[in-house]
Amino acid sequence: MFRKILIANRGEIALRILRACRTLDVEAVVAYSEADRDSLPVQLADEAICIGPADARRSYLSAPAVISAAVVTGCDAVHPGYGFLSEDETFAEVVRAHDLTFIGPPPEVLDRFASKEGTRRLLGGYGLPTIPGSDGMLRDDEHALHEAERIGYPVLIKPSAGGGGKGMRMVRTPRELESAIKVCRSEARSAFGDDSLYLEKWLEDNRHVEVQVAVDRYGHGVHLGERDCSVQRRHQKILEEAPAPTLSPAARADLCERAIRAVVAAGYENVGTLEFLVDARSDFYFIEINCRIQVEHPVTEMLTGIDLVATQIRIAAGEPLGFSQADVQSRGHAIELRINAEDPANDFRPGAGVVEAYQAPGGPGIRMDSHLYPGYEVPPYYDSLLGKLIAWGPDRPTAIARGRAALDELVVDGLTTNVEIHKALLASETFLDGRMTTNLLDRIGSAAFLAAAARS
Amino acid sequence: MPDARDAAARSADHAGIHRLVDALVPALIAKLGTLNVGELEVREGDWRIRLRRPAGAGPTYGRRATDRPSRAHPGHEQHGHAPGAPEPHRTVRASHAAGTPGDQSTNGSSGPSLAPVGPGRSGDAGPDREAPEGGALTRIATSPAVGVFQPGPRAVGGTRVRAGDPLGVVDMLGVPQEVVSPVDGIVVGVIVDAGTAVEYGQELVHLEIATLVEGR
Repeated sequence: MFRKILIANRGEIALRILRACRTLDVEAVVAYSEADRDSLPVQLADEAICIGPADARRSYLSAPAVISAAVVTGCDAVHPGYGFLSEDETFAEVVRAHDLTFIGPPPEVLDRFASKEGTRRLLGGYGLPTIPGSDGMLRDDEHALHEAERIGYPVLIKPSAGGGGKGMRMVRTPRELESAIKVCRSEARSAFGDDSLYLEKWLEDNRHVEVQVAVDRYGHGVHLGERDCSVQRRHQKILEEAPAPTLSPAARADLCERAIRAVVAAGYENVGTLEFLVDARSDFYFIEINCRIQVEHPVTEMLTGIDLVATQIRIAAGEPLGFSQADVQSRGHAIELRINAEDPANDFRPGAGVVEAYQAPGGPGIRMDSHLYPGYEVPPYYDSLLGKLIAWGPDRPTAIARGRAALDELVVDGLTTNVEIHKALLASETFLDGRMTTNLLDRIGSAAFLAAAARS
Repeated sequence: MPDARDAAARSADHAGIHRLVDALVPALIAKLGTLNVGELEVREGDWRIRLRRPAGAGPTYGRRATDRPSRAHPGHEQHGHAPGAPEPHRTVRASHAAGTPGDQSTNGSSGPSLAPVGPGRSGDAGPDREAPEGGALTRIATSPAVGVFQPGPRAVGGTRVRAGDPLGVVDMLGVPQEVVSPVDGIVVGVIVDAGTAVEYGQELVHLEIATLVEGR
């Protein structure tokens, strides 16, 4: 096991990793930017070190700053959290070159799964169905038009280097394709420094279901069930739950078993998530793998009782997984609500400011992962996630009821949050019936959704 | 020890003292009141007289070269923390359990030592450290990176420097990042020792502003 881990992230995930380190009896150093000097993980850390200014490019995204901090504080491993440098194989390589361990897949594994298109081909070869898509990257407009015609409209234009739904566009006609492709290229270039694009068939009314896996260095892997993340706004997840409400137990077992078989065969290592689109007939298509701990990991932790962050750290340290598929027992139902500093009434504009009052909810089955405290000033430089409210119950209706009660208990004063959209979701018939699809909120519009909830 | 000087010399001294107290000091006090400085010193013949504002009455000093909202203000201890908020840990501790600040080598063989970090974060980073003269107008050169500090030849007390002059480097994974003077002034001294691991923004070199030194 590691002696000392540098936590190269911020907010709730920095806190979550710090807690995992404490339970593993490993020292932790929190690396922070000047904007996060007063943040809770910095205050709770045994040790903290300022690595740069507020601008993430010079702090959380600066490989030299992060690695230098790990070296001078005597760490032997770096935990990148999610976002920032968490899936950067070059960073992972430089970490290793400094005799440190990157907590995640080893660099060569990250490299193997770095290209989404390559990963689809790789895992497709190990038996995972993939969405019909373009043959490789789009060379030019003519190639794009030809491939779109072959796949059949509507199609989704996707950046190869993308993530989190950035730079994606759905088009229904050749004319739309031609104009959108220019926009996508320039967005992808500025967001990821790589303007490679590919096409995918657009599945109407699909659901987003993902499978959590954990594979140790010795090729021993388990799946930890699936999560349904269909409640999205502009490709950003806002609510996740497990088990997936509309999949039969047999369909879930089939999906999860095929996922773990494929990633073990392809040589994956550490925790990871395979994302699928599931259509109305419960046919599933593999879309991408996330080689990191995910925001919504607590949903799975609530069901299985397995600490995924601790598991991730143990695997990176070279320990065997220590449990088998039969040991992974899923119990009940869990829902995670992402509490964001954004205004649903104002096109979800992100906000910042001082938290005047904060009260986390409690009670049976409730877990609140948040870095807020009264008086904390939410800086404007980073993402808008304030915390995650997770509600567990022996069944879905109980989990939803507990989630509703917890939302009513939650107090975050001083900032505009998206709590109202969650209240509306947990009261909406579509959600209660488990009929949410990935495009539903965008199609009817969040404002209309809120208004409908207010009437009912 | 008997006084070796003769009576005439003593009487000249007394006259000098009377003249200073009666004429020069009131003039200096008036001057100090109009200047935005904490301290004035004049020399005349063998005499030197220094006037200093009482603590707290001077201009804001010790402000950092880098912009640090909420940390650079006097009284920042209360800023942003509601009662009951956890007390921040204020130092980066030595990375080697056996090491103490006094016994770590600076050649890297036992790893760098770690000094207290950051303004308002170190337990000892009070006004005294920021302004050791009790009121002199001072500035601090801070670290441009996280790494190991190596002071340069100019980082020696008494050295006159101009704004932008290099005072040393912070070595970040073998890449030197220059520490520069934020002002025209005179180096008072280095705050952390050579070979110390420092964080971004950490106070490294203490300077006195040139306008004060020139007695303008």
